Amino acid sequence: MRKLSFIVLVIVITGSGCSSMGVQPWERDLLAKKSMKLNPDYLDNFFDEHIYFSKEATSGGQGVGGGGCGCN
Amino acid sequence: MQLKKIKGQMSLAAGVLLQVSSPSSQAQGSEWDVDSAVLLYSEGDGRVSAFEPAIYAGRDLQYGDRIDLRLVIDALTGATPNGAYATSQAQTFTTPSGNGSYTTKAGDTPQDDTFHDTRVAIGADWTMELDRLSKLTLGANLSTEYDYTSLGISGTYARDFNNRNTTLTAGLALNNDLIKPVGGLPAELMPMVTQDSPLNRDGDSDTKVITDFLVGITQVVDRKTIIQINFSLGLTDGYQNDPYKILSVVDTNGDLASTGIFNTGTTGNLPYVYEKRPDSRQRNSLYFKTVHHFEEDVINFSYRYYWDDWDITSHTLDLKYRYQLAESYLQPHIRYYMQSAAEFHTHNLLLGTDVDTAGNVLLDYASNDYRLAESETLTLGLKYGIPMGENSELSMRAEMIRQTVTDDSNVPAAEATPDLDAVVLQVNYSFVW
Amino acid sequence: MTDLKLIQEHDFWRGSFAAMASPCEVLMEVDDEALAKNILHAVSAEAHRIEHKFSRYNDNNIIFKINNAGGDTVKVDDETARLIDFSANLFQLSDGLFDITSGVLRKAWNFDASDNVPEPEDIAILLSTVGWHKVKWINNNITLLPKMQIDLGGVGKEYAVDRCIQIVREITRQSVLVNFGGDLATTSPRKNNGFWSVGRLITGKEHSVALFQLRKGAIATSGDAHRYLLKDGIRYSHVLNPKTGWPVKGSPHTVSITAPTCIEAGMLSTLAMLQGEQAEEFLKLQEVNYWIN
Repeated sequence: MRKLSFIVLVIVITGSGCSSMGVQPWERDLLAKKSMKLNPDYLDNFFDEHIYFSKEATSGGQGVGGGGCGCN
Repeated sequence: MQLKKIKGQMSLAAGVLLQVSSPSSQAQGSEWDVDSAVLLYSEGDGRVSAFEPAIYAGRDLQYGDRIDLRLVIDALTGATPNGAYATSQAQTFTTPSGNGSYTTKAGDTPQDDTFHDTRVAIGADWTMELDRLSKLTLGANLSTEYDYTSLGISGTYARDFNNRNTTLTAGLALNNDLIKPVGGLPAELMPMVTQDSPLNRDGDSDTKVITDFLVGITQVVDRKTIIQINFSLGLTDGYQNDPYKILSVVDTNGDLASTGIFNTGTTGNLPYVYEKRPDSRQRNSLYFKTVHHFEEDVINFSYRYYWDDWDITSHTLDLKYRYQLAESYLQPHIRYYMQSAAEFHTHNLLLGTDVDTAGNVLLDYASNDYRLAESETLTLGLKYGIPMGENSELSMRAEMIRQTVTDDSNVPAAEATPDLDAVVLQVNYSFVW
Repeated sequence: MTDLKLIQEHDFWRGSFAAMASPCEVLMEVDDEALAKNILHAVSAEAHRIEHKFSRYNDNNIIFKINNAGGDTVKVDDETARLIDFSANLFQLSDGLFDITSGVLRKAWNFDASDNVPEPEDIAILLSTVGWHKVKWINNNITLLPKMQIDLGGVGKEYAVDRCIQIVREITRQSVLVNFGGDLATTSPRKNNGFWSVGRLITGKEHSVALFQLRKGAIATSGDAHRYLLKDGIRYSHVLNPKTGWPVKGSPHTVSITAPTCIEAGMLSTLAMLQGEQAEEFLKLQEVNYWIN
């Protein structure tokens, strides 16, 4: 399984050079909206990460940092 | 050239050239974006409830830099299962400090109700624009409660490619945690003793070091779609037990052990032993997220696949759909999570098989923390947000969480870990200051 | 920078100097002469910096380096990259009518009001070195074909006005107007919700000046009534279509536009000129204030 995941990642990275993806700067009107951010609800997400960290065996994935706690 | 309206596109291109987010924002000075919230979390049935105020503030600085600060206070009260399981008799346990005891009624899942704590967590991120296309974010975090302190630093490098449509990210985080349980560290896999006996203790405190690496790619697919894929690898070394969790020792009849070393009257040993987990853990996850804008609405979907060398795998699906109403919005949320058990998770220890009559546990590791069991969690939520003037928003959300331990195969159904039902209520107010 | 002049009008200070082949003016609604001097120095320094950095007449700048690379790749700084990015955006927005590589066509065209119209063969040869789509532009690295050239003169003056506005806003919150040869912008409205009176020269048989009031934002003007060729009764305007190498037919003499920034106003007026006979139709579509003649 580990090997497979690396392969998936490599394909995605090399595939990103595809010039048909993406937009011009003036087409960023929708992307500039707060609701189009990857993490628009900052505190909601912060609370959820904490709740599920204390109730489930697994966590992380979205980014690094944010800090630990003794709840797990 | 076909005649077309280009004023809006020109304005955005000019904003990029002049390094302002939009031409109309040029005149405004730098301001704090503030998001404040209060969260109430309640598990019902006398289990954990929490009151958590939090505040986040971020502002843009000169030269493309940015600072983000956050503070959370987390006041907990209530009880949490201690890992022993329900029996037909009342059970008595020694409190973690060793100078008290609590009793669980016959048929009830034993819970440690001495649990109450206030946690304070602060964090800061500083984002620096290294050049036109790359950024470095340095972060620091501190979380402290009476038996636990966590100190962490992190760094994330992000670089844009393809006309800023592709962003590659690499991150590294280091955390150093100090665990200082009430009454000291319980001796691993040793029996809990009555409150009058000398405690089985193994020092006052221990530490663990957590290292996380992340590589990710974010891609703008088209004007309405953005995707993100992250791979993370985490290494945890050091003390990873829950010092307050125990396992029941049972005999072949399914009764709590009461002979030999577990004859409480003569030895002072209770028929429970403290858990033990490996002191290293390697965690991996693959995370996918996409955000898509429909005509008015926005969908935010993520999936995470996680696996580690404790044999736990998990799948997490998370979906938020933002219905744009005239001014306000309504956002249903559904989250589904399922995990397999840790290889050393066991509901109890069997005398004669897992524990010999001298009290020696024959397993390398054992824990009946329900969080390491095979389980699933379903969350349903609804959020409502309404703008209050130009730069402020008031929002509230309610979520229901149900967590079920799905493998109780080696305990009678009546003694299985009960479902956890929790309710989350949250109010947010965000504004520019 | 010895040519700086500062005089006091009845309710503002007027600073002037010459840069970018144009008379430059700074009107400042400030009371303090020292502050006015500071602003004027800052604006003049920025104008000269931009002129020095991006002028195609300088043989010691990034433009010279790019234009004389002989087919090699040149890495450029962030500011140059933003200007090139912006120009590349305009190339696409205008379907190739706005092209910073079109400057070489001036070797054949000299708009001196004579009948000196070039031969089609000469134009065809020059056209082989025109076309932004022939340029490799990846992550701050630019590669031109040998003999190709770029010229940021089409955006430089308007960019300089907007940059100066940004700089002045950091010095004072009071209203300042920056005018570089007719391309101008203000930092904020004047006191008591006042305005700057701006004169626009209307060229024709008899020159006249139209006055209008500018509260905020920018105005830019494109066009030059004195630059044309006349041969066999046909008037050739100085606005060249980079795709054909020949002047656009029916361009207005001048177009002025108001917009939030000078660069927007300037580029919209330039693109309007490039539309030729359809200039006015194009301007109506943009829903901007404009003056055309």
